Amino acid sequence: MKLLAQHGAANGEKARHGLQSGYIDGIIFSPRDITAGKLRDQLATMTEIDSAADLLFDPQYYAGHNVVSPEPRLGRLDTCEEYGKYFRQRPRRELEGGTTVISRDITDCLGFQKELDLTGLIGPNILISRSFDSIEAVIAKNFIRLTGQVARKLKPGRPVYATLAISREALMDRKELMDFLTDVTLLGDDPPDGFYVLVASRNEDARSDIFNADVIAGWMMVNYTLSLNGYAVINGYSDILTPLLGVAGAMAGATGWWSNLRTFSLGRFLPAGGGRLPIQRYLSRLLLNRITFFELDQLRGVYPEILNGLDTDDRYPADQGSEPERADEVLQSWETTKSLSDDLVHKDVKKSLRLCRKAIQRADAAYDSVEAYNLRLDPKSNRDHLLAMLEGLRNFAQLAELESTSFDAD
Amino acid sequence: MPPTLLDHDTLRQHIPGLDSVEPCFAGGGFKSVYAAVVAGKKEALKVLGIKRITDPGADPDLAEAFCLEQAARVRREVESIGKCQTPALVKLGAIAPVEFEVGNEKYIAYSEEFLEGQDLWKLITQHGQLPALTELVQLFGSLLTCVRELWRHGLVHRDIKPANVMKTPDPARPFVLLDLGIAYAVYETSLTVRPEDRMPPATLRYLAPEMMQPDFRERVDFRTDLYTTGMTLFEYAAGKHPLAKDRDDMMRTISRALHQPPAPLRQHRPDLPDPFCNLVDSLLKKKPALRPANLAMLFQKLEEIA
Repeated sequence: MKLLAQHGAANGEKARHGLQSGYIDGIIFSPRDITAGKLRDQLATMTEIDSAADLLFDPQYYAGHNVVSPEPRLGRLDTCEEYGKYFRQRPRRELEGGTTVISRDITDCLGFQKELDLTGLIGPNILISRSFDSIEAVIAKNFIRLTGQVARKLKPGRPVYATLAISREALMDRKELMDFLTDVTLLGDDPPDGFYVLVASRNEDARSDIFNADVIAGWMMVNYTLSLNGYAVINGYSDILTPLLGVAGAMAGATGWWSNLRTFSLGRFLPAGGGRLPIQRYLSRLLLNRITFFELDQLRGVYPEILNGLDTDDRYPADQGSEPERADEVLQSWETTKSLSDDLVHKDVKKSLRLCRKAIQRADAAYDSVEAYNLRLDPKSNRDHLLAMLEGLRNFAQLAELESTSFDAD
Repeated sequence: MPPTLLDHDTLRQHIPGLDSVEPCFAGGGFKSVYAAVVAGKKEALKVLGIKRITDPGADPDLAEAFCLEQAARVRREVESIGKCQTPALVKLGAIAPVEFEVGNEKYIAYSEEFLEGQDLWKLITQHGQLPALTELVQLFGSLLTCVRELWRHGLVHRDIKPANVMKTPDPARPFVLLDLGIAYAVYETSLTVRPEDRMPPATLRYLAPEMMQPDFRERVDFRTDLYTTGMTLFEYAAGKHPLAKDRDDMMRTISRALHQPPAPLRQHRPDLPDPFCNLVDSLLKKKPALRPANLAMLFQKLEEIA
């Protein structure tokens, strides 16, 4: 399974390192954070570093529809003239009246990307913010259906992915989710090559939004049904859940650049609330979670199993209190996520599920060991995610009909 | 129910173009099939008795609509067959649908090509040698071709089952799918509901789970046919129905169809390759979204197995 970098502000030094070291397989660029001119330079540079890298562009069309604020933070989407070729702030009434406007916007968006040195094109879409049983969902399905049709006419010569952006609230309604998936797995003669899937939480820091059993199971189901129908599925902002989505059939997951790019949220496009920079963290393979660097520093002497044994451990030097350079944090995340995916994602989904359960059990036991040292962990470092993951896997296996007791006619 | 076994003179009197008629060789319920010669060529003549609502208190308009619907279903079958262009589906004969009355009973008849061979249900119940992979791949390919061709015209067969598949001695068309009597045009007409039991008109033993939902009219697409294709392949390959035991009552089978997956095919046929067994198993998922709907991909996988 591939791991992609979710691009944010700042230059591409981290991605350069990530690609050179093999921690990532490509980049999903964010037009909010880069001008079209600089994007072209970056694409050329990254291709030079790794000619096989997956270079994609999230058009962030959803921000023009779903971000409701008098002063949205659209960044370069708003200020870079070239993005005006496709980026529009469409109210719902313009999108629900028929398919002409949608077709035009898809044509403009894919046409813009066709001229860039991308390895695949991502279609525009809005976010299904509340429910699959909504006008938004109907509009989103039209975007998905028309993405394939427009791609056939444009002949970009590269894979085209339809965006499927869903709020975690919509994802949690199992019946509506299944009805939606029944529809989108039947796309007629011109389907897209794959999907770019985003699951939105209420804000970037709402850990419990995504680490929820129903959200995990629903996200896995989206990947499972789409991939078994032959679609390549790329998940944006999937972060630590990337391996679980790989188990369900995903081709790729992604995680960002900075800590605010590990979860997808429209909060990024709203006025900033200020605040301090977050404490650098260390992603532990054993705990399936991030702990702060000073928690790592306290633990590594007494419980060395906490270290991953990967190259990027060196970027958390013990003689400097285990504090990494801020830019190194993401390299450590990428390497660890990639390594977890390599370990857990197997061709046989049932075998992968067993491996994941074992990894969660190991994590639970490791937390017991950590507690034995009387170390009080930060709330984000605790084991709350494990139960959500375990239940998520169980719910997914049930929804996907993978582990029911079968009838034997003998 | 009107008797469908009519004598040859009666048939020849009401159906123009018949040279001769041989004894009835198949049928059941309100349908009989005769071997007939039409313009010098042997064909299968299908005669269907049109059922009436005999309850004296019944609404006459409803009773009339019930009769009309049966005739319409036959005309729909003929129309469906006429649209499809694949040797894996039965072809029409020379006699177009003709309605007639004998005494107080109404009938409708038409002809299809006469196919030599045996239906799969007969072969299964003979408990002979289980079919080899090559034959199963041929059957799979034939049924998939039918599903694809029907769907190209917006049609769903809804009653693919061993009794509706003929194994023929013709190597060019080793398996032929019959009986589009309840084929359903998804975007055109509404589904028929049998008034006697308010269930959709398909064989219960093979009914797809979505057909048992109250809103089944909105849920049917070609994945319903993929499910019944999987049931047919499983039963023919294993010699056993995936969800029914011989002495079970039908409600238990229906309950299993809704809630319990069948044992994997490889449990019954360990000699078959895993990819083939997995492919058949994948068609038997309860939720349509979990059945592989990419027909091109299915054909490719089948080719790889072959």
